[in-house]
Amino acid sequence: MKDDFLNRTFRHWSMWPCLAFLLVLSVYPVLQLIPMALSTIQITAEGTFWTYSPRRNLDLLLGDAVLRDAVVNTLVFVVLSVAIEMVLGFFAALFIACMPRGRNFARTVMILPILLPAVAIGSMWKLMFNYDFGLFNQMVGLIGLNPINWLGDTRWALLSIVIVDVWHWTPFVFLILFASIETLPQDVLEAGRVDGATAWQMISLIILPLLGPALAVAALFRAIVAFKAFDQVYLLTSGGPGTSTELLSLHLNRVFFEQNQLGYGAMLSLSIIGVIVATLAVGKWSATQIERKRTGR
Amino acid sequence: MNFQFATAFAAASALAFTAAGPAAAQAPFADVGKQAEISILINSSPWFGGFEKAVDLYEKQTGNKVKLDVTPYGGMLEKARNAVRAANSPYDILNLDALWTIEFYEGSFLKPFAEIDQNFALPAEVLTFEDSNYWNAQRRWRTRDGGQLMGYSPNGNIHVLYYRDDLLKQAGLQPPKTWDDVGAICQKLKNPPGMYGFVTRGEKGNPIRYDWTPFLQGAGGSIVKAPQDGDYTVTINSPQAKQALDKFIELQKNCAPPNVGVIGQGDVIQLLATGRAAQGLAVIAAWPTFDDRQKSAVVGKINTAVVPGFPGRNPGVAIGNWVFTVPKNVSAERQRAAVAFSRWFLTAGAQRAYAEAGGIPVRSDTFASDLAAKPEFRWMKAYLDSQQFARQELGYAEGAQVEAVLGLRLNQALIGEMSSGRALNTAAREIEEIFQRSGRRTGKLDALPE
Repeated sequence: MKDDFLNRTFRHWSMWPCLAFLLVLSVYPVLQLIPMALSTIQITAEGTFWTYSPRRNLDLLLGDAVLRDAVVNTLVFVVLSVAIEMVLGFFAALFIACMPRGRNFARTVMILPILLPAVAIGSMWKLMFNYDFGLFNQMVGLIGLNPINWLGDTRWALLSIVIVDVWHWTPFVFLILFASIETLPQDVLEAGRVDGATAWQMISLIILPLLGPALAVAALFRAIVAFKAFDQVYLLTSGGPGTSTELLSLHLNRVFFEQNQLGYGAMLSLSIIGVIVATLAVGKWSATQIERKRTGR
Repeated sequence: MNFQFATAFAAASALAFTAAGPAAAQAPFADVGKQAEISILINSSPWFGGFEKAVDLYEKQTGNKVKLDVTPYGGMLEKARNAVRAANSPYDILNLDALWTIEFYEGSFLKPFAEIDQNFALPAEVLTFEDSNYWNAQRRWRTRDGGQLMGYSPNGNIHVLYYRDDLLKQAGLQPPKTWDDVGAICQKLKNPPGMYGFVTRGEKGNPIRYDWTPFLQGAGGSIVKAPQDGDYTVTINSPQAKQALDKFIELQKNCAPPNVGVIGQGDVIQLLATGRAAQGLAVIAAWPTFDDRQKSAVVGKINTAVVPGFPGRNPGVAIGNWVFTVPKNVSAERQRAAVAFSRWFLTAGAQRAYAEAGGIPVRSDTFASDLAAKPEFRWMKAYLDSQQFARQELGYAEGAQVEAVLGLRLNQALIGEMSSGRALNTAAREIEEIFQRSGRRTGKLDALPE
């Protein structure tokens, strides 16, 4: 009885440091954005001067033509890159898990791209995408096609940065799924084999459902990181040509830091946070409804 | 600016002629005595190597210590902002891109030099790049007329035209004087992908805005009518601006690599240094690369000329200088040490040493000295000749927002997403809105045909 009380008390109080960190580092900055978003802010040596002007910032938000392109590009980038990474990461994990020998070596090689700094990746891929002497156009030339203007053509630029993101982050998905595949219950897999399931049936009816939680975690983490993608895109295209690779993170950086529009930048940030929270809430509600229908509860 | 430049140039030339080259070379360094250690925030640009060597010389000569925080361009503004907004700046000298200076001048973050040392005065030979280092708070304009001295340039970046001297001579061609000449030379020498006729930056944002500005100025166009007098009528959609943009696009499409819309400074320098471009428009800071055997395949083969213009008009030369400034929030002792370093750095001896180490000096007499006759300093004449045409742009608080608008719309015109007329009309509308929001006296020209 005494031990239960101590355990409960410890559990209760041990939450507080964590909660305090969360409040200070996450909630407080977001709350701070609210007065900023309603103001025009001028920082001088004499102090910071706030002018209440919500209408001005709202007008800027509604009239921001580049923002509309940035939203569309970000959605396309996130959906495309995460979808490709999930498929490639899953099959890479499955393939390497089934290798009779050299699995550790293959796993080490696979995760190398995650370890490279973004600046190195940006420089390396910029060279590979080079119109005249880049690796890709040399390969394209070998099969008799004309060179492709990977980063300089609005039709190819977004796809090019998706390719770089897929190369960089597929190993992350691979790592999560590989670890999960390694811990799959062998008796269930064995039962499937004994029952004569084909390879596709093994994957679709046994492995994929068992990997459901790991797939969800990988997809969620990747979507969050892809949504915030900045450094590689900045290095490869700076959001251009035109607005073809302008992502929300780049646009926000331009407004906040290059143009020093703190009030409008805060309004933009709050709007993005609002949309994300709303999307997550709708997603969660939809998942709950589906689960209820499935289980009948 | 022309008058100030002419005065400085005349003084420097007189000094150079009377003192006869070698004597000028022996000009003394300033004796600044024992000073506190200072820290400088500086960018890792191609001219940094020369500056670092000049600082080494300062430390050897004076025994004073200088710490350099070398930062990529992308991180400079935030470091400088953080420094001046903190209780105590970690830096005693901040190197600011001239475009950023307005924010720091208007915010009163910097200490005017006269308030640190009332005896400090810029030597008459030092170039001021259209007074970008002075601030008149009443007029909200950078001018020595009623303004205070806030700093000086460690590097006066301006454009020059780089060209392959050897190829032009082989083909019996003269260095270009007009953009039409550039186009004609390009047609004769280009052989893509091995050799492009002309390259310059087309990348969205500052790169295309800055590299198009010489075309705009050369055509007689401007972004705003007379900002120095408070008239912010937007003139970017003028026929002159359209002529400038059409010529820029024509040269890029006919002479540059196909990925013009994403070509940045690194690409321009690389194309020239690897011998794959016959002509290129780039800042003078790029020069040290071309005669460096470690980095260049065209050592001794590249020469410079004043930026070409349009027939019957003066060339346009856009200034993109840096300004060394002293923050208010450092101790008086360290402010004095920063000014002492500045006094030393601006002497003829230090500027010569800086030039010899690969830097771009800022004293007109250094350019007029015997150095200019040496082959390795063959860029100096074009640089000095360009100064009389050099102009600042975006010298107002809204400069960064205006640049963002132009940087996008020009890029869209270059890649064919918009016609030149539509791009300039769109930019004019957006820039006018920026000035309306900030309460300036503004308006715009009638729209161009789209």
